[in-house]
Amino acid sequence: MEVEDNMETITEDEAELYDRQIRLWGLDAQRRLRAASVLLIGLKGLGAEVAKNIILSGVKAVTLMDPNMIDEEDKMSQFFVSSAPMGQNRALASAAPAQLLNPMVKVTADASDPSDKDDGFFAEFDVICATGCKNSLQCRLDNLCQEKKIKFFSGDIFGFYGFMFSDLGRHEYLHEEIKKRKKDDEDKEDEGITITREVTNFSRLEDELKFDWTADTPGMKKKIRQTPSAFFITRVYEEFLELHGRRPTVATMDMDTKELQNLRILVLNKLGVPAKCIPEDFYKYGFGELSPVCAIVGGVLGQEIIKAVSQKDAPLNNFFLFNGVNDEGMVDKVSL
Amino acid sequence: MALTAALGNEHMNALNKCKVLMVGAGGIGCELLKNLVLTGFTDIELIDLDTIDVSNLNRQFLFRKEHVGKSKAEVAKESALKFNPDAKIKAYHDSIFSSEFGLDFFKGFTVILNALDNRAARNHVNRMCLAADIPLVESGTAGYLGQVNPIKKGMTECYECQPKPSAQKSFPGCTIRNTPSEPIHCVVWAKHLFNQLFGEEDPDEDVSPDTEDPELTADAGKAALDAEAKKDSIGGIERKSTRAWAVETGYNAEKIFNKLFRDDIKYLLSMETLWKERRPPQCLDFHDLPGKDTQSLSTRSTDVWSVQECADHFSRCMTELKQDLAGRGDSGMLVWDKDDNHAMDFVTSVANIRAHIFGIPLKSGFEIKSMAGNIIPAIATTNAIIAGAIVMETLKILVGKMDKCKQVYLNRVPNDRKRLLVPCALDPPKPKCYVCSSKPECSVRLNSSKVTLKTLKDKILKGYLNMIAPDVEIDDGKGTILISSEEGETEDNEDKFLSDFGVGNNTRLKCDDFLQNYSLIVSVVYVEKLEGEGEFEVVGDISECHPAEDEASASTNGISSSAKQTAEEDDDLVVIEDLEITDTNQALEIEDISESRKRPAEDVQPPVMAKRRAAEGGDSEDIIEIS
Ligand SMILES: [Zn+2]
Repeated sequence: MEVEDNMETITEDEAELYDRQIRLWGLDAQRRLRAASVLLIGLKGLGAEVAKNIILSGVKAVTLMDPNMIDEEDKMSQFFVSSAPMGQNRALASAAPAQLLNPMVKVTADASDPSDKDDGFFAEFDVICATGCKNSLQCRLDNLCQEKKIKFFSGDIFGFYGFMFSDLGRHEYLHEEIKKRKKDDEDKEDEGITITREVTNFSRLEDELKFDWTADTPGMKKKIRQTPSAFFITRVYEEFLELHGRRPTVATMDMDTKELQNLRILVLNKLGVPAKCIPEDFYKYGFGELSPVCAIVGGVLGQEIIKAVSQKDAPLNNFFLFNGVNDEGMVDKVSL
Repeated sequence: MALTAALGNEHMNALNKCKVLMVGAGGIGCELLKNLVLTGFTDIELIDLDTIDVSNLNRQFLFRKEHVGKSKAEVAKESALKFNPDAKIKAYHDSIFSSEFGLDFFKGFTVILNALDNRAARNHVNRMCLAADIPLVESGTAGYLGQVNPIKKGMTECYECQPKPSAQKSFPGCTIRNTPSEPIHCVVWAKHLFNQLFGEEDPDEDVSPDTEDPELTADAGKAALDAEAKKDSIGGIERKSTRAWAVETGYNAEKIFNKLFRDDIKYLLSMETLWKERRPPQCLDFHDLPGKDTQSLSTRSTDVWSVQECADHFSRCMTELKQDLAGRGDSGMLVWDKDDNHAMDFVTSVANIRAHIFGIPLKSGFEIKSMAGNIIPAIATTNAIIAGAIVMETLKILVGKMDKCKQVYLNRVPNDRKRLLVPCALDPPKPKCYVCSSKPECSVRLNSSKVTLKTLKDKILKGYLNMIAPDVEIDDGKGTILISSEEGETEDNEDKFLSDFGVGNNTRLKCDDFLQNYSLIVSVVYVEKLEGEGEFEVVGDISECHPAEDEASASTNGISSSAKQTAEEDDDLVVIEDLEITDTNQALEIEDISESRKRPAEDVQPPVMAKRRAAEGGDSEDIIEIS
């Protein structure tokens, strides 16, 4: 992702296609985008949204990776394959429609299981975004990314709920601030832009999840109260995915509902947080992936990838949590 | 099956019965249509008059290069059907203002979803939904920011309850004509010049030196005398219109260049008072320009052209635009369009030449296009998020839980309560709203002996108050008809002044729009002269309007909370993409409504609905600035 000074300037064709976004983030950011290779793991509804957003933005290359077949749930959120026959590999079937979004981006598909790939495979990417992956895989990839200075993202959607996590390591970026200045001689104000170079440090996913919610520190009660409900709720689904290697499904709804209720208790106990952190009827809203929820979380996640690559603007640090039951879309960091 | 499980039976039943109208198939529209189809909406109609442009393709993902020039509505429909071939989608490549889409049309839908890019259409749909009593979900995005507003007659604020600040910054005429100090001043001047030479001539867009500059009044007598003498000395040029003179020269680039950038500048220099505290402008000669020794001629929009390059482009554009004009026939004229390369390059070169003269930094064509075309940056991600939020609110409306709906704002950074998406409680209708109250009224401050019926019709009723085909009569018991929407009935009166019909202070005008099912009483408040440059000022609520004799205080207070508006609007103001912001440097001041202390959102650019942010809980958040 290093951008060399002699990097090619944006062509007139690119300037025309990317006109409306270059006017927002500038030519330098667009050049950085054009140099970035992204690995996108998981091509369900959220993955499709992220793929669309970053392919449209004009990154260099996107590799779509998903070992699974198209299923019934894809009809309600995965627009690349929503009317494709079931049984095809999701990544392979998504590649062609994804490529149509922007011929300037190199789109490739890989039907292998990311767990089977050795570490060397991942090293060639600038960004790795893992959606729909087990927590253990997310943590493994995050640690690997930090070793190799790769920007790491993960996320998932469960019905009305969704989350995004990012670990950009030590991230440098340009921050623009518009300040109103008084002109000395007149009463008028004008606007000046100041650009500063800033640094933010991120935490590892595994450290975030090890956070001790029971620690007897001042303000802990308040912290728990102010932590978005979607954080605790999505932990239950992450636990389900980890234990069963699959998401709750409609076909197994009754069984899965019971399991989700059990896991709610388990998560509450494990974290040591009050029961009201996870509403008792939470499970009613967590089947499938709602398209608008994918659009919202995928929009935020896509924009965070763009920010990370273009090294422009303060990134969200480090969870974005969405709860469509109460319209909450919040940013939070568990460890401080 | 999976969808029913995810949404629940209640939502699914409502979805199966629901028929939805989407107005707009652009940035938000493409994302919205995808979400609707996937979420199980199967009866969808969409309207968009627009055709696809290359600059749409970075975000309007239902369109591809081979679709450029085709109808957005039609292509969006075809692309979305691939997501669910069973969906029933009807596309109209038509204007929402068309009488085809009357009250009965609107009444046929369960809910209307706006995905529009301009205020005029938003106002119109707002009125149609109020008249039809159908819920409306309004939305908009601007760069990284966005918002969603559910609207229901009698229950919430309507789109027009909150006055919108003018989208267009206006500058004093003397700054534009005599003393520009920023690139934007030169861009405005260049657009005025375009209209003077090729477009509709507007006396308010004069490009010649302004001898009535208030700064000159210190030695007014002398300046006026000088001015008269100077005018005569430059070959009587000033006595003709710029257009007539240019036509006479055959649009000779050299002659026009030397008049505008040499002779007129010399004349400006003679107004010595102006240059006591300022850097005086420098005259240019067509044959002796900075950069003339290099042979290059850049055509790249991201380069900053030298003055010589600008002059070369100026000459080329003059020839090309002359031909374009000739193609329009004898009385034809050109309309400035940022996407017309001749018109755009003309403005780029002229603005930069003038900037050089006044020692103002030169800009690339790319940057000047932003300023001249009021381009508001737009990205896929913001549109995706907002389109998602629209569906979340719409689902609540469908199951009869409108009371659970929220206005949703997308911030650029989380607020101090960690919210990136900020839900705000819906406000009740504003009792004195000039659109949704039971007896809509507003006041207009103007000088009735200087404002014509044409101005009343085109600029005030259509342009500002967004009527489509107004009928106007004086509410004097006699029902004197001023304007009729029937063709041929009142056209002959259009150039007469309001005072010719006895319209003066406190005259009430009954204005009706049949299509919008909308009646408005406009009370005239006579003012000799407005503070600004405009011909009129609309004040939403009479109580906010100061009487004519109280002008001094009116200029400093009171009106700030009303829709203060000058008539000097640019015609392209309404063609703003997706409710976006004119430039990325624009700070949005966002307001907090958690308490009753509402503040006018002064700096909110274009049609962004009066910006307010609040947290449901009542925690007060201070105004935050987002860059
Ligand atoms: Zn209203």
